[in-house]
Amino acid sequence: MNDFSVEAIGLTKYFGDFKAVDNVSLTVPTGSIYGVLGPNGAGKTTSLRMTLGIIDPDEGSSRIFGARPQSVRHRIGYLPEERGLYPGMKAREAIAFMGALRGLDWSEGRRRAATFMTELGLERVIDEKIRKMSKGMAQMIQLIGSIVHAPDLIVLDEPFSGLDPVNQERLEMLVRRERDRGATVLFSTHVMAHAERLCDRLAIIARSQRRFEGTVDDARSLLPMQVRYTARADASPASIAALLPAGAEPRGDSWFFPIEDADVEPLLARITGSGLGVAGLSITRPALHDAFVHIVRQVDASFDADAGTDAVEEALA
Amino acid sequence: MTPFLKNMLVVARRDFLAIVATPTFLLFLLAPLFMVGMGLAGGMGASQLADSARGAGRIVAVVDASDVEALRAADARLRASIARRVPVLEVRIASAANTDPVAIAREKGSDTYAVLSGPLATPRIVEREPDSNAGRYLALLADDVLRSKAAGPLPPIAPKYEALSSGGTSIALQQSLGFGAVFIIFLLTLLLAGQTVSSLAEEKGNKVIEILAAAVPLESVFLGKLLGFLGVAVLFIAFWLVMALAGGLIAALQVDPAALASMQSASKAAAALTAAPATGWPFFLGIGFVYFILSFLLLGAVFLGVGAQAATVREIQMLSLPITIFQVGMFSLSTAAASAPGSSLSTIAQIFPLSSPLAMAARAATDDSKVVHLLALGWQAIWVALVIFISVRLFRAGVLSGGSSWKFWRKTTRG
Repeated sequence: MNDFSVEAIGLTKYFGDFKAVDNVSLTVPTGSIYGVLGPNGAGKTTSLRMTLGIIDPDEGSSRIFGARPQSVRHRIGYLPEERGLYPGMKAREAIAFMGALRGLDWSEGRRRAATFMTELGLERVIDEKIRKMSKGMAQMIQLIGSIVHAPDLIVLDEPFSGLDPVNQERLEMLVRRERDRGATVLFSTHVMAHAERLCDRLAIIARSQRRFEGTVDDARSLLPMQVRYTARADASPASIAALLPAGAEPRGDSWFFPIEDADVEPLLARITGSGLGVAGLSITRPALHDAFVHIVRQVDASFDADAGTDAVEEALA
Repeated sequence: MTPFLKNMLVVARRDFLAIVATPTFLLFLLAPLFMVGMGLAGGMGASQLADSARGAGRIVAVVDASDVEALRAADARLRASIARRVPVLEVRIASAANTDPVAIAREKGSDTYAVLSGPLATPRIVEREPDSNAGRYLALLADDVLRSKAAGPLPPIAPKYEALSSGGTSIALQQSLGFGAVFIIFLLTLLLAGQTVSSLAEEKGNKVIEILAAAVPLESVFLGKLLGFLGVAVLFIAFWLVMALAGGLIAALQVDPAALASMQSASKAAAALTAAPATGWPFFLGIGFVYFILSFLLLGAVFLGVGAQAATVREIQMLSLPITIFQVGMFSLSTAAASAPGSSLSTIAQIFPLSSPLAMAARAATDDSKVVHLLALGWQAIWVALVIFISVRLFRAGVLSGGSSWKFWRKTTRG
């Protein structure tokens, strides 16, 4: 076995005339937590479906554990974006059923279902029917169902949506624990906070294409660091502005401006030398959120430019 | 057990339990009771109606007083040997007052089918309908009376009846056995297989289909669903078989066997039981059951595949009429084949996959070769697999890939 659990190369899918997924590749290192980020309708779900072999790509191919996805189904756990359970089934049975589909013994499935549910604070509803549960509870049940057979690869499509903060926390704990058990976790989301906390690596998909691939830090370093500087109270704004790079803007008492990595030490030297003093100073990487918005905006802007060109061409024709 | 079979059984088990463990299933199971009840009530009403109408029917003979005795004797003799039911004979003595046959025929209070009047050698017969049996019967009576008058009294003949006990079963009886097999299999598949058309709608509605499609091959989902429904059908049949056997047993204990034997209908049923299909009863019943299963699987697979393409419940409802008509078509083809064994029509019905189980079950009643059934079962099984295969391809290509608005007749175009 090689170092990648998932190797999906050049996946492309058309829905009619629309290219829903365009040459997207996902390579997930074994034993890592990998996030697929993207705005709504970017093609995350379709990419995951093709990766798992639920639908066939028009171009490209997907291999899981070095084999066809269909031949290693029992080693995969999958939580689809559109949640679905049989409403008439009891929670314990529903989990055991999903385990049985992946080759787990029924009785073992029922036993593990009870254990998982107790851990996640759901012991009250172990023998309750799904239709009596809240949406969030049902989602937790389905999540348990997709990992009850201890799969080597866990694929979760928007697992955090619809969960309250407590359950989101539990889910993060669960994901980390599964990774520590040795499983590879691939999940999609558009909530950056989870990705930032969980992911070892991530891919950003926007407008059907993969726009970024790397670690969270790689993504954050796409943008320059942000400086927040507050001088001693008696300094005049003009002298501060002269000290700082052009483009620094005052907000209240503080000044904000971006800075390149190489410029940090010279800036510190200048501040110390100026005698304006330091009442407050922070130099931080922008959050994943900012990097994500930056990437998506860039893509959208290029699309708008294209659309503008098209409009001009149409007007000329 | 291979993973494929295991997956199939997991799906089948879920479907079977989901159907059986509901209160609605009891209603489904007991539905034939309503049918039987309604049938009994309707049948009793109809037979009462027929009885009262029959009591009112009559034929009238207006004859001389000297001929009355001879006429009644002839009526008693001839009536017994005529298979058809003859209306009651009313004999009147001719007098000046009542000789008009038309007036007698029009008397109120009863249906008069025919009236005979005048001399027996040249009788005048007024009948309600031209060439009616009642009129012919009156003429026959007159003829018999004249003959016995001319020949004088004869001693009654003393016939000795001997029944041919082991003469084998007649072709006609075997054909009707075949027809019965076709009818029973058709009725059961009509009642039970049509359910499969809506079976995938549930998964599509509650989105479980994606879990299934991700976890197991779709072929085993489809086959598992079929198997689940087959389980329900077999349970249904077993329930009613046990009920019928228990009912029969109770009836046999309650009713005096002598009384049973004396009943005409019972002796007819007994005759049918002593009749044997060409392949013998155990084989015939066994193969009939196997053909029911295959007929169920074949039609069920077609309906499942068609139903899987339907996007809404409304579409499924619309599909149920063509499906029923299609089944009736298969039934007509097979009954035509059953009534003409050996014809090219019956060969077609036996080869065409969807009518094959029905037609082959009929063939088991009239043709004693057994190897051909193995061939037919294999052929039908291949078709079940083929239908499932095609349904799954269509389903994968269409419903799963193309979102919700996809229809198989709307070809996707690529930009």
